[in-house]
Amino acid sequence: MPLIRKPSPAAPDAVPARDPLAALRDGSPDERFAAARAAGGLPGGVPALAGALSREADPRVREAILTSLSRAGTPEAVAAILPHVHADDANLRAGTLDALRVVPGGLGPHLPGLLADPDPDVRLLACDLARGLPAGEAVALLVPILDADAEANVCAAAVEVLAEIAGPDALPALEACARRFPGDPFLPFAVRIAAGRIGARTPAPDE
Amino acid sequence: MTEGKPKRVLVVDDAALVRLYYRDALERAGYAVDEAMNGLEALEKLLVAPVDLLVVDVNMPQMDGFTFLRVLRRQDLPVASIPALVTTTEAGPQDRAAAREAGANFYLVKPVPQDVLTVYAGLLCGDAP
Repeated sequence: MPLIRKPSPAAPDAVPARDPLAALRDGSPDERFAAARAAGGLPGGVPALAGALSREADPRVREAILTSLSRAGTPEAVAAILPHVHADDANLRAGTLDALRVVPGGLGPHLPGLLADPDPDVRLLACDLARGLPAGEAVALLVPILDADAEANVCAAAVEVLAEIAGPDALPALEACARRFPGDPFLPFAVRIAAGRIGARTPAPDE
Repeated sequence: MTEGKPKRVLVVDDAALVRLYYRDALERAGYAVDEAMNGLEALEKLLVAPVDLLVVDVNMPQMDGFTFLRVLRRQDLPVASIPALVTTTEAGPQDRAAAREAGANFYLVKPVPQDVLTVYAGLLCGDAP
């Protein structure tokens, strides 16, 4: 038996009859959804979407707002998305990260700030976002996390990404990181697996 | 774990090394383990092959762990009542309340020691001594 999603009573792509920016503010959920999809390309659309994102409670409308903001991809749009990585609502956090992953032009300029955020949960999520960078840039951002971040879970998130992209130059930092948290049950396991994967894809010197 | 057919566990986490860490512990304790990278993939897998226990992360792309549990618990299907152990880095009281509201049976803060994971797995699968 399939999982059933209740169909929307109105066609989701219907163009709102009224001004989309006004509908975004006080329309019905279907009007707000359609307005969110339309607003990204309108003058004043990004600030309106930014405001709507802060007050919107309907997950479907929020997803549409995040999609429009990430498609807009302007610094203003990215700045509107970023604060929601702190959201208490796991659904909004997940949507925010999904939106940030697909921002045209990437998140490169914003990642150092996110990796230095006072909130360890934001730093942890930022490690995952570093996957979207070219490997060399991501390694350069994540190895210092291994060296200095005070939270084992943040380091573990960095290890997760480095296991996929780093070369043998990262091995000393990985091993030192595991030693920095001697009581942590997960990091030694993760570092051992990461080192094995890095070694497996590193050609022998005479190859 | 008791003799016979091994109990099945679905580990739902976007971090490959975490999935491997849980798999390592659970398989050594006698469980059969499958993996999903997010809530959507987990729902798809559960409809094909129900399990005895879910080990679920919270922050995942496409569908987070709480949304996954809410959707699962709403289904009029036997899979709706599979026990779920949430493991997450989110340790605040609001996160614990959200986990309970979503339908988690237990909530463990990462990093979860492997022996703790298997003890809770045993409790939720009815294998505890």
